[in-house]
This record gives sequence, structure tokens and C-alpha cells, in this order.
Amino acid sequence: MSRRQARRDFLARLAAGVSAGVAAGAAIAPDASGAQTAPSGVPRRKFGRHPDMVSALGIGGHHVGNCATVQDAIALVHEAVDNGITFCDNAWEYNDHRSEEWLGAALRGGWRDRVFLMTKVCTHGRDASVAMQMLEESLRRLGTDHLDLWQIHAVVYDNDPDLAYRKNGVIEALDRAKREGKVRYVGFSGHKDPRIHKRMIDLGYAWDSVQFPINAFDAQFRSFQQIVLPEAVKRGIAVLGMKPFQGRGDPFHHADVKLTPQQALRYAMSVPGVTVTITGMESLDVLRQNLAIAKSFVPMTAGELQQTVAAVAPHAGDGRFEIYKTSLAFDDIVTRQMHEQPLLGAEA
Amino acid sequence: MPVPHRSLKGVSVSIIGIGGSSLGDVKDDSEAGRIVAEALDAGINFFDNAWEYHDGASEERVGRALSGKRDRAFLMTKVCSHGRSRAVAMQQLEDSLRRLKTDHLDLWQIHEVIYDNDPDLHFAPDGAVEALTQAKQQGKVRFVGFTGHKDPDIHLAMLSHRYPFDTVQMPLNPFDKNYRSFAERVVPEAQRQGVAVIGMKSMGGGGEPVKRGAATPQELLRYAMSVPGILTTVSGIDSYDVFRQNLAVASSFTPMSASEMAALEARVRPISGDGRLEHYKATKIYDAAVGRMQHGFPSATELPA
Repeated sequence: MSRRQARRDFLARLAAGVSAGVAAGAAIAPDASGAQTAPSGVPRRKFGRHPDMVSALGIGGHHVGNCATVQDAIALVHEAVDNGITFCDNAWEYNDHRSEEWLGAALRGGWRDRVFLMTKVCTHGRDASVAMQMLEESLRRLGTDHLDLWQIHAVVYDNDPDLAYRKNGVIEALDRAKREGKVRYVGFSGHKDPRIHKRMIDLGYAWDSVQFPINAFDAQFRSFQQIVLPEAVKRGIAVLGMKPFQGRGDPFHHADVKLTPQQALRYAMSVPGVTVTITGMESLDVLRQNLAIAKSFVPMTAGELQQTVAAVAPHAGDGRFEIYKTSLAFDDIVTRQMHEQPLLGAEA
Repeated sequence: MPVPHRSLKGVSVSIIGIGGSSLGDVKDDSEAGRIVAEALDAGINFFDNAWEYHDGASEERVGRALSGKRDRAFLMTKVCSHGRSRAVAMQQLEDSLRRLKTDHLDLWQIHEVIYDNDPDLHFAPDGAVEALTQAKQQGKVRFVGFTGHKDPDIHLAMLSHRYPFDTVQMPLNPFDKNYRSFAERVVPEAQRQGVAVIGMKSMGGGGEPVKRGAATPQELLRYAMSVPGILTTVSGIDSYDVFRQNLAVASSFTPMSASEMAALEARVRPISGDGRLEHYKATKIYDAAVGRMQHGFPSATELPA
């Protein structure tokens, strides 16, 4: 199916109020994916085909390491958890490991058991043994003996699926870690191209989760929502949305883009089939703004979703606000090094 | 031995062309003029350019170098409206003709069709495609086409309109064969439609494969010129030495066999699958300023790759 045809089909499904992930004709309400409202108000949702419930809003791990001090990071995580957020994202390579260290500092003293803890492995094509070493380092930094979810980080180059599935590749490490009880669930993540994600799924591994950008721009440009989300939902793979604000909020600095942060986050959390929306929060102000949206969350109707997509359409067709798809800007240094990509701008 | 020629609808074109952007990088007018004069004498008649190369200086340089020799050249340049109106395109045509000191082009192509929505913009009413038609009707250009270095899907979307393009330009090298391949996907469709194929980036754009010893310039240029159905290969030549090197390959050209080509593709496959030697596809490095601006992208300073 061409991208254009896929886009038309997707918009038609939205218009019909039909979940992108449900067989044709089976109309459901947008938030029927096992959603429950926690006493605190942040909705919780079922983690794919598994019984676990996770918060619909997740703490992006990269930004935990962008807080001013470790004390600020601890305060942010504690306030988030006290307000009903359970899902914590991270990656072995974020901020040269500071992100895992600071999240680990926040989770000591019993907080670990109140969260659904995820981090990501950063072999970028290297062997399973490299992955297992990274897992030990992540566990040590996070101060725990197990992860709830371990994902392959930055599946963003066209040959990454083949490298992951090769003999002695990272997928063998996922299996080993599960067998050893060090991780409960496994998945993969990437921000680049839905065709790469589709191939990761099509090659057949029993993924528990998959992470990708979900926002109104993505709905109409190299769209994960069109191409990957239906496949994930069909297989009971939990859908972890990211980049609800385009990674760094670029559209909100353009007066001619008719979209508020509130609309953007609400859109991302409302896309039928999404389990959790992960977003970076490097200050209490940002956390509280997002908590306010999450606590009063009412899913957008199909019509509202479609209106939001239409509102950003003039700025969506060339990926100008999805530079994680159209440039190397969001590819970390190690990712680039392992694929011998230019490091221009990587320090930014 | 003179450089071989091939036919574009009865018009004779050399199998290698002089790239206009790199000619603008040659250190001075004297060396550039020498390259152009010796190229013509050796049988190279294809000269590439674009309205936006070096802010017009590449066209001006070729205009000076071809002064009095215009009729011996097959002169191409490209229009850089990047989604703007037909009037913008026609104004650029006048600029190009003036800089190139001629009253007509042999080939006028839409430049840098590299953004996913470019086909829609160019084919929109009052878009660049209408300018191609108008320029042809006015006798200002003989042939028309388009070019881009990014994604075969975008080229195929352009071709899906069945507009009578005479040419289509794309990267062709053994790395392409293993990564988002124009050779696999666009060349066959162009041939079905009778659109002549122009190759570029035979050495990966910046010569990275040569620098790392993955292949020799001779192998890569010969490979590109051997792609079945190809009309000519635009070659980036930024010095007299590079000119002599590439001229030698073109003058002694014998096509690679299919098995020779397959062997080279296989040899470079381990370093091709992620685009590490095709920066024009995998990064923003080759995306020029005017297109970025028209598409609302950050500048090369803000978003280098």
C-alpha cells in the first residue's frame, strides 16, 4: 500500500470513528482500551495483551537527566508518582548515563515498587553479550534487580531489523534476560521510519511493546499511526507513544501553527490504541502542566482527532516539525557511531 | 579516443557530464575554463547546472566558459522554485538564460525534488510543471525533467502523473543498489515511460567511499555509466586533476557486465545498508538552503545533518 493510500484510509477510519487497530466495522470509543481512572486522576491502561495496568502519561527518561540537579530530579519523580504516574522511561545511553543514575536515585527507598520501570539497551547492532553487559549496568544505576520492560533503543536505520534478528544479536539477549528473571517484558523503540518498525514486527518476534512518535503531524507524514499502530494492536503489543510535542516543541514557536500544548498532549493520549504517552519533563512546571491535562483527561472524539490533524496539515507534509524522522538531529552519538553516520550537530 | 555518446530522442549526448556545482568549486575561472574547453574537445558536451548553485555563480561561470562555444554544448540547468508558483519558475528561467548567455536551454529540470510533498506542490495548478510546459512551448527549452537525491518514493510519485518528462536524474552507484534504491525502483519505471535516466553521485556525493578505500574512482564511475538504460552520468569535477581522471574513464569506457556490477554491489553491501555512504539520502547534509527555507526547515547551521 502506498503512503498516500494509507493516509486516505487512515483519515477515513478516523472519520468513521473506528479505531485504527480494530477490524473494519468494529466501532469502539477511543478510550476503550481497558482504561481505568486511578484515584489520583491520571488514567491507567492495560499494557497490551498483559494484565498490568500503567499510567497513560509516562516520564521521559532523557529529560530526567536534564533537571538542574539530582535533587530536582528526585523531587520531580516523587511528585509525578505521588500524582499517579507509574510509567518511567529511560535508556542506557541518555545523557551519558546520568538519566539512569538520577532516576535510580529517585527510586531508592521503596519508590521502585510503585513504578513500571523501563530502560533501553543500546547495542545498535552489536552482540548479545554487549547487551547483557549494558543490562547489568542499567540495573546497577537504577538500583533494582529487575526491569518491568527492556526495549531495544533507537531502531532507526534501515538495516537495524536485520542486525537485531541476526544470530547472536540483541534479540537473543532479550530472551536471555527474560529467562533469567531480570526483565519481565521486552520491546523496541525508534523515531525514524514506520517501515523499519513494520519490519521489526513482521520478522515475527513476540514483542510485548513498541514505542514510536504519536502526534498530529505523524498522522499524515511517514505515519507510524497508519502503518505500525494497527499491527501492534492486532498482536496485543502495548503501544508507547512519544514526542507528543514533536521532540522539542518546535511548532509552538510558530504563530501560524494552530496547536496548543494542551491540544497536542490530549491528541497523543487520545489516539485509539495508545497505551501510554511518554514525554520529557525537566521541571516541575512542565510536570504540573502535563499532570493537569492527564488528570482531567477526556479522550478526543473522532471528530476532534480529525480536526487536530487537519489543523496542522499545512505544516505536516514535508516533516519540517518531525526532524526526528527527517534528519539525524535525534540520533544519539553512540547510535550514529555504530552506523558510521556523520556527527555533525550531534552535540547540540 | 573521443568520449562515447548516446541519443536523447535523436540528440547526441556524451556519457559523462560536467557537474555545475563542483565546477563552481574549481579554484578560479581560468582552471574552470580550461576544463570546459578540454571537455568539449574530448567530446563531452553535457553541462549540468542549477539556478541556485553558488547563488548563481556556477551558471555565470559556465556562461563565460561557453562564450562562443554554446552551440557545441548540450546545456542543462535546473529551476529552484521549491513549491512556489509558475511565475517564480519563469523568472528563474530568465535569470538562468542571462547568466548562461544563451537564448535557450537543451534541458531544464526541476531541482531537488526531495520533500515528500514536492510532487503535490510541483503538479499543483500554477506550479513548476506548468512552467516546464510553457517554456517548451516558447522554445526556450528543448527537453524537460526533474532531479532529486532523497527517496525513490518521491521520484515515483512524480512519475505517477505520467507527465511527458524527457529526463529524470537520480543517484546511481553500487551503494544505492543496497539502500532505498533508485536503480531498483525508479529506473525500470522511467524506462517503461520512455524517460531518459541521468545518473549522479557516482562516488557517493563527496567521495567518501573512495576516501575509505571501499572502491576506486574508476570502478565507481564505470559502474554508474554502465547502469542499463542510462543516458549520461553527471560527474562532480572540482579540479583539473579530477577532470583528467574522470575523462580517462569515460574515454576508454566499456560497459561493466551484469556480473561485474553484481560483484561490486555485493562487495560494498556490508557498508551500504544504513546509508552511511549515501549522506544525500540519509541526512540533511545535501539539502540546499532555498529548499529548506521554502519547506520551513531549519538552516544548515541549525540542522546540519
